[in-house]
Amino acid sequence: MSDHISQVVIWCLVVAVAAVAVLLTRQRSITAGLRRRVAQLEESVQARDEEIGHLVGVRLPAVADAVSQEVPLPGPLDARLAGTVFAQRLQDVMDLFAQAVEKAQSRADQSAKAALKASMRALQGLAHEQQLAISEMQERHDNPDVLRDLLEIDHANAQFGRRAQAIAVLCGSWPGRQRVASPLTDVVRGATSRIRDYRRVRVHSGQNELAVVSRVVEPVVLAVAELLDNAARHSQPNTTVEVSLQPVHNGACVVIDDAGVGMDGREIQEAVAMLSGRRAVDVSRLGDPPQFGYPVIGVLAARYGFSVSVDTRSPYGGVRAVLFLPSALLTQLELDGPGTTPLRERGRGEEPRHTPTVPAPRGPSRSRTRHPERTHAPQEPPPAYGAGADRPAEDTGTPHTTPRATPRPPVAPHSTDTAHPGDTPTAHPGETPHGADTPQAPGAPHVTGSTAGGLPKRRRRQPAPGQQRHSRPAAPMPPADIPPERSAEETARRMGAFARGTRTGRTGEHRFPPLPGDRDAAGGPTGAHAPTPAEDEGNPHA
Amino acid sequence: MTPPAPRRDKGLVRPYVVTEGRSHPTRNTFDLVTLVLAHEDRPLGGLSPEKRALMELCLGGALSVAEIAGHLMLPVSVVKVLLGDLVDSGHLSTRAPIPSAELPEAQILQEVLDGLRARL
Repeated sequence: MSDHISQVVIWCLVVAVAAVAVLLTRQRSITAGLRRRVAQLEESVQARDEEIGHLVGVRLPAVADAVSQEVPLPGPLDARLAGTVFAQRLQDVMDLFAQAVEKAQSRADQSAKAALKASMRALQGLAHEQQLAISEMQERHDNPDVLRDLLEIDHANAQFGRRAQAIAVLCGSWPGRQRVASPLTDVVRGATSRIRDYRRVRVHSGQNELAVVSRVVEPVVLAVAELLDNAARHSQPNTTVEVSLQPVHNGACVVIDDAGVGMDGREIQEAVAMLSGRRAVDVSRLGDPPQFGYPVIGVLAARYGFSVSVDTRSPYGGVRAVLFLPSALLTQLELDGPGTTPLRERGRGEEPRHTPTVPAPRGPSRSRTRHPERTHAPQEPPPAYGAGADRPAEDTGTPHTTPRATPRPPVAPHSTDTAHPGDTPTAHPGETPHGADTPQAPGAPHVTGSTAGGLPKRRRRQPAPGQQRHSRPAAPMPPADIPPERSAEETARRMGAFARGTRTGRTGEHRFPPLPGDRDAAGGPTGAHAPTPAEDEGNPHA
Repeated sequence: MTPPAPRRDKGLVRPYVVTEGRSHPTRNTFDLVTLVLAHEDRPLGGLSPEKRALMELCLGGALSVAEIAGHLMLPVSVVKVLLGDLVDSGHLSTRAPIPSAELPEAQILQEVLDGLRARL
């Protein structure tokens, strides 16, 4: 019996032990699985921690920096996270951050541009005002020493104006001043006026009559000035900068060669990118010191439709910059001939009112004023003449006119054909290309427009082809009631002879018989009529 | 569109470029009323645009310095520098004006004129 009992106990124990063993084994395997899982999760959490650290420490700063320079952004640190929701969220954070940075940047840029633009406009205005003042002073002072100082100030002022203008343009402003259509030569020399080393620039213009339409004069001046400034600054001070103007099939080119250091491939690449004008310019990222030149040219070129290339090497070793102006930006100026100097009654800033009323482009011919008192006003030259000779030269205007003639004749260009009752039918050589000269009273000063100060300008007569030249100190003197058959030249010759005669008479050296009526040629009140017309006319050359 | 009338823009080319930075004329013989005569036989090639314009202006006959300055729209002192160069290069010659002291009075002039008319 006891055997049975012990056997039962033993079997029970065996079963229990087996069960415990099975349980233990199972438990163990479960624990191991859990351990593995925990380790995995720990690792994953750590990876994410590291990833976030990487995001904050590396990737977001990279985004912030990437605005100023194009660099590849660093990716996630752990490749195992790729494609997970977590990685997606991180990317969202990156994108948001980049947007915020960009927005802040553009806002800062805009406000910087606005502030710069406003202040540069103010400076530009001041420079312009100062230039006017300097011009006025240059007109007023006759002393070479004063002029030298004024020229220096003028030069500094022009450079200062250009700097302000360039920055203003870069900030989206217009180049400023309105100009009239100007010859390309003047445009290039105007650009030369605005750089420091203007003496080193040689302009080879040839004889072309190309002109730039008024709309782009100032932009082209500014662009060429920047190119010239680059060329002059990057070359030795003892070398010259050669500029040539070339008409080409589709327009014209301004070719600027310097003998400087040139540019390497990377610089050229950058320059081309900037000159294309496609890259948006950020004023806060122009380098230190800021390089304005190429970005400004790029902006102007894109806005006004010309193009600039700098990727050729100059035969002098430096850079060859070529500014190409398409035909649409060019025009043809009818150059003023010798007799047709610009007649323009313009006070400063008044010309828009008159420009439409001057349709005769090259025939500002005999534009005499219509009113008799005006034509007579400049006819009293002897006092003005004498006074002009006595006074230390300080009027800058024409000394042959009196201030009473200052009322500007607003209709002067239209009165070209007004017949004058006192006109003589004397031979008047064609002095304008039209040859449409109205006969004129001999010696009457021809008022052709007026100076900037409002004084009328006198037009000279040109001698007929057969006649010799005359200088006319005595021309304005004869009164208007000369018999009509006597030409102005003849009258003047007689008056010249007469002047010499009276002079001889007063000095008391009578080389000729003083008796009136003694000899026709030498006698009479004229005293010395001896000089033949040839001598008389040779006199001016003395 | 009407063609733009020929006119130089005053503020474009500054005077120091015109005179190449010089302010003193090479000779000090110019007055506002000095008369300037051009020599026709001199070539105009190689002259700066302002000098060329000045020569073309003077080829029409004698002009006073003040008138040249008015026509070229340049300051008188700048014109004097250009004139000095052109006289040096033989393009121009100058002639002093008649001194005012030697100019006869208007009344005498009138009388003599009347006398002349009666005779001639």
